[in-house]
Amino acid sequence: MFFKIIAKDEVPDLVRGIATEYEVIGPQAKGTAFVFAPLKDPADLRLDYDMTILPAKRYILPERETLMRFSVEDNEVVEAELDAPRRALFGLHPCDVNSLLLMDNVFLDGGDPDPYYKARRENTLIIGVSCMPAPTCFCDAWGTDETHRGFDIFLTDIGDSYYASISSVRGADLVDRFAKGRDITAEDTAAFQERSAAFKAAFEHEIDTSQLPVLLDAKYDSPIWQEFGEMCLACGACSTVCPTCYCFDVHDELDADQKHGERVRTWDSCQFKDFAGVAHGNFRDSRASRVRYRYYHKQWGYLSRYEKVLCVGCGRCTRACKADINPPRVVRALQTGVVDR
Amino acid sequence: MAPRVVVLSLASDFGCQVQITNMTDQILDVLGVIDLTYWQLATSGHLPAEYDVAIIEGAATTDEHVALLKKVRETAAAVVAIGSCANIGGVPAMAREGDLEERYATVYGGAAVAVGRIMPRPIDAVIDVDYRVPGCPIDPPEFLRVLSKVLQGLKDDTPDKTMCASCKLNETVCFFDQGQVCLGLVTRSGCAARCPSLGRPCTGCRGVAPDANLGSAREILVRYGQDPDELDRLLRIYNTSREVPV
Amino acid sequence: MTASTLASPVQLNPYRPWPARITSIIDLTPQEKLFELRLIDDATRDAFDFEAGQFVELSLFGVGEAPISISSAPSKQGFIELCIRDSGDVTGAMHAKQCGDIVGLRGPFGRGFPFQEMKGHDVLLVAGGLGIAPLKSLINHIHDDRHEFGKVTILYGARTPSEILFRRQFEMWQHREDFDLMLTVDRPDETWEGEVGLVTKLFDKIDLDPDNTYGALCGPPVMYKYVIAEMRKKDLDVDKIYVSFERRMKCGIGKCGHCGVGHQYVCVDGPVFNYWEAMNLQEAI
Repeated sequence: MFFKIIAKDEVPDLVRGIATEYEVIGPQAKGTAFVFAPLKDPADLRLDYDMTILPAKRYILPERETLMRFSVEDNEVVEAELDAPRRALFGLHPCDVNSLLLMDNVFLDGGDPDPYYKARRENTLIIGVSCMPAPTCFCDAWGTDETHRGFDIFLTDIGDSYYASISSVRGADLVDRFAKGRDITAEDTAAFQERSAAFKAAFEHEIDTSQLPVLLDAKYDSPIWQEFGEMCLACGACSTVCPTCYCFDVHDELDADQKHGERVRTWDSCQFKDFAGVAHGNFRDSRASRVRYRYYHKQWGYLSRYEKVLCVGCGRCTRACKADINPPRVVRALQTGVVDR
Repeated sequence: MAPRVVVLSLASDFGCQVQITNMTDQILDVLGVIDLTYWQLATSGHLPAEYDVAIIEGAATTDEHVALLKKVRETAAAVVAIGSCANIGGVPAMAREGDLEERYATVYGGAAVAVGRIMPRPIDAVIDVDYRVPGCPIDPPEFLRVLSKVLQGLKDDTPDKTMCASCKLNETVCFFDQGQVCLGLVTRSGCAARCPSLGRPCTGCRGVAPDANLGSAREILVRYGQDPDELDRLLRIYNTSREVPV
Repeated sequence: MTASTLASPVQLNPYRPWPARITSIIDLTPQEKLFELRLIDDATRDAFDFEAGQFVELSLFGVGEAPISISSAPSKQGFIELCIRDSGDVTGAMHAKQCGDIVGLRGPFGRGFPFQEMKGHDVLLVAGGLGIAPLKSLINHIHDDRHEFGKVTILYGARTPSEILFRRQFEMWQHREDFDLMLTVDRPDETWEGEVGLVTKLFDKIDLDPDNTYGALCGPPVMYKYVIAEMRKKDLDVDKIYVSFERRMKCGIGKCGHCGVGHQYVCVDGPVFNYWEAMNLQEAI
């Protein structure tokens, strides 16, 4: 990795430069919230945002995409074009950069890589930006508060400038061409360290994440799940806003003439009742079993395969869940055996 | 042979059928694959003796409706309920709130309307329904998807879940966070959460979702500083005739 | 903006089904048919190599996909057989197909029975209802390599005589010396002269060498606990009992999440698990 100092007032030029080659997606205000959206004007870019409603995963794994078009009569694929535009995701926080690495484990898996995901991922430039924790943030609990790979450029706020970590040829090239920048000094690195320390010190609460796989098995029949099940709306908002939830459904839609159609992939959620349904029954009929499965999979199922938990502590589900079910609360309940009120 | 389709109206404002006529892009394609033998709104003539698919708009509000529905059920291989009135009673079923005769007297004076009137009800209170296109009015793309299921002989897959996940896809700022009550919390999804995306909380026109958790929803209203009875009050707009599970 | 094309070899896109022709359809029962399929593309067909216990995704454009276990033996070259019950949109549409029609296949997926490991041992195969479908592949595979195995015992239970799958073949096999085959039904009819009762009842009638026997089991979920208990009573080792699970495998490649069971995915970690693994899977049995 190498480093540059980019003054904050150089950022609009950098954005404009990148926009000549990529569609730039960045955090922007929407009402009282923030969203990632195509950037029309660098002035709309809000690198001071706390959290977006949806993560940026939709730009790599869209909530709806056509896998192929087919002809019904011949049961044949007639078109399998894949739309993988060159995009720059500008302004991802460390949690979101890490979330894409977790998704990569699933979709770029050596055995059967997902060609749709792969093509988009490869065509997507990632520019991260540092943040300060919001009250709902708990990335520190999983160690996803830092990121050392998975980005082309990462901008750490050190006052009037960004301390830019550059980790790819294309990232270096863009900085070279579109930001004046300057080399780092020892003072800059000291400012970077100071900023990092301030960030770590700003988390308001601690979560005891020890031994979760054991607790999930040992307390599998704990009444806490019943209690969470009674609260859960089974609405799937948690998985929809989650930057690491990757489950999907595939179904066919026919054109109005019923002759051709498309095979469509959409996001799905293990919180929906029919998620584990089969012809003669449903393996997770109750809300309690579905809430439990969500946590079981995130903190143990995924971990058993990839040695990491499937959560980056972004806090989006904490905000999205009207029923007030969220990882810190569930983890506390797992540790203590009691759902706090 | 193209399936013979009839479109029938009970008590409603015909808004759903107007939506069908609004599908200018696809209507000709659809008409190419069905044999539309009768459309109460658009054709004169009589309901034929035989047909395969009956698309029904409106709530049952008279004895005559009940008799018609029973006949339709005997004749049609597939019954499709379109719109809130047909699926959940909708606005006509608001009459269930009080004394029916008093309501008729207030609204119509002494006029001789609705001979043989009964308490308004959704059509599945009278006959079995095979396919559903909920909503007030229906959403044309959803109507086409369901019609395709009917034509292909596939099972109905009207979503049983609530609205919040699809609302998140629009990145609409939650109404609860703005001090408003939104029925998306308990309402059947499938409309892409359109009203919230246009700045209006959900009013429940698609009906209470089978998977809704109304008990928890009431507690959520309390937690957000709202009167929990407000949930039930708002549900009266469209959902009076549904038995609301607790 | 650029667009990449995925029209190239199907191997690059695991979601793209391979066209296959229906070469034979046999009515087994009023609900089940046996389809024989042949992949159309020569190279794909030659490369299609599977283990008994693996499954394919049957793909009917306009309807969708359904996971189906392969019923034929890997030793049968060039064709695969799928035993399909009419129980949903895809299987219902499949039942309406004719010989010669083209359907789609993806796969084979998952982990099958440990055929090589079973060689040199006795084998006890227990099936209930449609659970015979994946076991049929194993049975036929053993049949084709019969000299490599010791005693082979097959216990198969169905609800009624008319629901027994592959009945003609099994009735012929009942007289064979090299397979101990026992059939039982829950509800006999007037033609039935065989055993009556649940498949677990047949355990009283069999002798096993516990140190030398592999068990294999497939059937409706409710059956597993009871059959495994019988196998354990006969002292079969937990890691020599193999079970096959049915879940909602949609993608087949460990991505879509639908077939999650405990901390694993049935489509890649299963559908065949040994009982030790299955015991350690929450919600499995």
